[in-house]
Amino acid sequence: MKPEDEIQAVREGFAKGGYICDKQIATSIFLSRKLGKPILVEGPPGVGKTELAKATAEYLGQELIRLQCYEGVDEAKALYEWKYGKQLLYTQVLKEKLGDLMEGTVGLKQSMDRLHEFDDTFFSTEFLEPRPLLKALWSEKGAVLLIDEIDKSDDEFEAFLLELLSDYQISVPELGTIKAKSTPIVFLTSNNSREIGDALKRRCLHLYIPFPDSKLENDIIKARVPDVEEGLRKQLVAFVQGLRTLELKKHPSVSETIDWARTLVLLHAETLDAELVRDTLNVLLKFQDDIENVDGEINALTSQAQKASA
Amino acid sequence: MSEVLTEFIRALRAADVRVSISESIDAGRTVELVGFDNRQVLKHSLGQVLAKTEEEKFSFDETFDKFFAFDQFKPPPKREDGPGQAKDGEGEGEESESGQDAPSDGEGGEEGGAPSMPGQSSGGDGGAPQGAQSGGKPGGGPVNEGDVPHAGPNAPGGQNLLEMLEAGDAAALQMALAEAARRTQLNRIRLFTQRGMYVRRILEEMGLETLDQAIEVAERQGTEAGDARGQEIREMRDGLRAQVRDYVEQQLELYTANAGKRLREEVLSQVRLSNVDHRDAKVIRQLVKKMAKKLIALNSRRKKRTLRGQLDVRKTIRKNIEYDGLLFDIVWKSEKVDRPKVMAICDVSGSVAQYTRFLLMFLYSLSEVLPQVRAFAFSGRLGEVTDLFEKEGIEKAIAETMHVHGGGATDYGMALEDFADLALDDVDHHTTVIMLGDGRSNNANPRADILDKIHDRARRVIWLNPEPKSLWNTGDSVMRSFTPHCDRAQTCASLKDLERVVSELLRTAV
Repeated sequence: MKPEDEIQAVREGFAKGGYICDKQIATSIFLSRKLGKPILVEGPPGVGKTELAKATAEYLGQELIRLQCYEGVDEAKALYEWKYGKQLLYTQVLKEKLGDLMEGTVGLKQSMDRLHEFDDTFFSTEFLEPRPLLKALWSEKGAVLLIDEIDKSDDEFEAFLLELLSDYQISVPELGTIKAKSTPIVFLTSNNSREIGDALKRRCLHLYIPFPDSKLENDIIKARVPDVEEGLRKQLVAFVQGLRTLELKKHPSVSETIDWARTLVLLHAETLDAELVRDTLNVLLKFQDDIENVDGEINALTSQAQKASA
Repeated sequence: MSEVLTEFIRALRAADVRVSISESIDAGRTVELVGFDNRQVLKHSLGQVLAKTEEEKFSFDETFDKFFAFDQFKPPPKREDGPGQAKDGEGEGEESESGQDAPSDGEGGEEGGAPSMPGQSSGGDGGAPQGAQSGGKPGGGPVNEGDVPHAGPNAPGGQNLLEMLEAGDAAALQMALAEAARRTQLNRIRLFTQRGMYVRRILEEMGLETLDQAIEVAERQGTEAGDARGQEIREMRDGLRAQVRDYVEQQLELYTANAGKRLREEVLSQVRLSNVDHRDAKVIRQLVKKMAKKLIALNSRRKKRTLRGQLDVRKTIRKNIEYDGLLFDIVWKSEKVDRPKVMAICDVSGSVAQYTRFLLMFLYSLSEVLPQVRAFAFSGRLGEVTDLFEKEGIEKAIAETMHVHGGGATDYGMALEDFADLALDDVDHHTTVIMLGDGRSNNANPRADILDKIHDRARRVIWLNPEPKSLWNTGDSVMRSFTPHCDRAQTCASLKDLERVVSELLRTAV
């Protein structure tokens, strides 16, 4: 199968699941699967970075394993943790057994040797609590691993991920190196709240998702909110596109366009008018400053949107 | 890895896209995977493998379009007057459409066409005159090669060159040109003064000599038809030369895009800031951003400090499981210590204003690693401008600062008094105070005692003076009374100096 056909197939598969994307995005999924490389997804908030991972999991019929990053996330939360409650409990319960075990040993040295035969039992996989990264490596039929908002984590954690991202393996001191049973597809998302290190970038494909153009956004709304009528859909998309050209604290994202479309459907709106926009603007804009700033432009934007749909 | 790709990566590097070895290997694998058949797929794929930031994506797109552009041999306008014009009337659109779409499998990409076939994107244009001669075949590299059997890249004979020119065979000409360029090693071109030489060599390689001979033969006949023929060939030759020159210039730009800029930046970073031309201000701004970015990358790792006295119960239990729950390995809570607070007190009068501008620009570009910068500006009286810088862009804030606080005679005594009233209470052992000024107090009392107070409280006081050390303490300069109260006092005349100071500030930060 030719590459462009495969890319088209990915797009169509996504569309079936309700995720509408452009060729750029489909290409990155194709490349990631063929080259076995993680994808670093960047872009403004709300353009569907996290959604992409979900859609991929659905498309491939694989489990989605998600690791939400935050300041202070560490190995214990990302990779594995010993079930120390269980370990303690077992040692207590087994205390009585200890006497039996030690039977027949003479002196400290022999007792120690006898004990050494057992010490590893407490640090075996039975007592290991797998966290998202380990789960992804252990997954039998491959998984989609989403490492969300990597920019929120610390630099140390970023460095810790390097081994996983380049070789799909991870070293646990007590157990040795754990290799992936089947290579997972890894997504990392970033909102650019800080610059991601070069070492990490080098290991990833880099996908930048911008705000969609009006045609794509139209398709997205059509797929996500099928109830909204075509005329209204075109108008609301044109309005949102217009909003994005203004100077705002936070531009409305795709998810907010979808919410707005749903709102308008609930209100049984048929066309946009300035009054309606004013009443529902808080669905699109999340800062009072923005709402006040836009207020003067609403009439112009609305009539522009009406013209665009005509 | 193919030669084309290596060349392309070199061009990318010239355009300031950082490509590591491992990334070029990835690019090689990508090309193996997707091939050169579909321009759009190739562009998207390579873009994701090679360009890793938004700016790099932009440079990548530009370089890709330039590198894989094969539009030299548009038929000269004069020739288009003939068949080309007629086509315009009938629907040249369709012709060129079909010419471009054919190899891209009806994919209909915005930029359908295969980069591996030179002349592809010009197929539509080239198709016009050629169509008139060879029976309306849609333009396409390999097809054309078949049409003109001798026009292969390895046989750039003059006769063929003439034939190609007469046929207006864009694809074949393009291939001949690319081949000649490869043989003359055009990719080694470094300076614009080498343009002429490369143009001449490429023309010779393509068979210029035989063209000249043909002209001579035609004109020697002495007939009117002969003269006309000579004139015709002469025009074609000139057209060819212009096209080759375009090509060479394009390649020069591709491979040396940023060399000149880099040289200029290098020079500018060392020149005294007061001597910077107004027209260079933009370059300097970018330079400051670049330097700041480097410093951020170097210093973005936060250091940890352990505070003894607070037990971390959770971690302690966790750590002592291996000792059967006996707590003998104690873990203390550690705390991340933030970056130092910086207070910059800047003279904005006359000669020092320029330096202030760049210091503030620097400090505010570093907001990622220096989150707590407070800025004060003075000439006569002192005022805080922190808010201004946080709200407005750097440029606007600086202009506003100059407007409000600039002008007037410098009075260090007054300024320091104001500072003590405003912010002395906030100076603590995390604070680094940077003074920027020439220390010329117009014979007023410098009030070095206040600086002493600041010094006692602050972690460090750094004095930056744009004047060279030999001029300190001459005239009304009172550096002598200030220097004892500074941890460091040094000259700071160029961007390089500034960078050194700031990087020092970050390095020794706890």
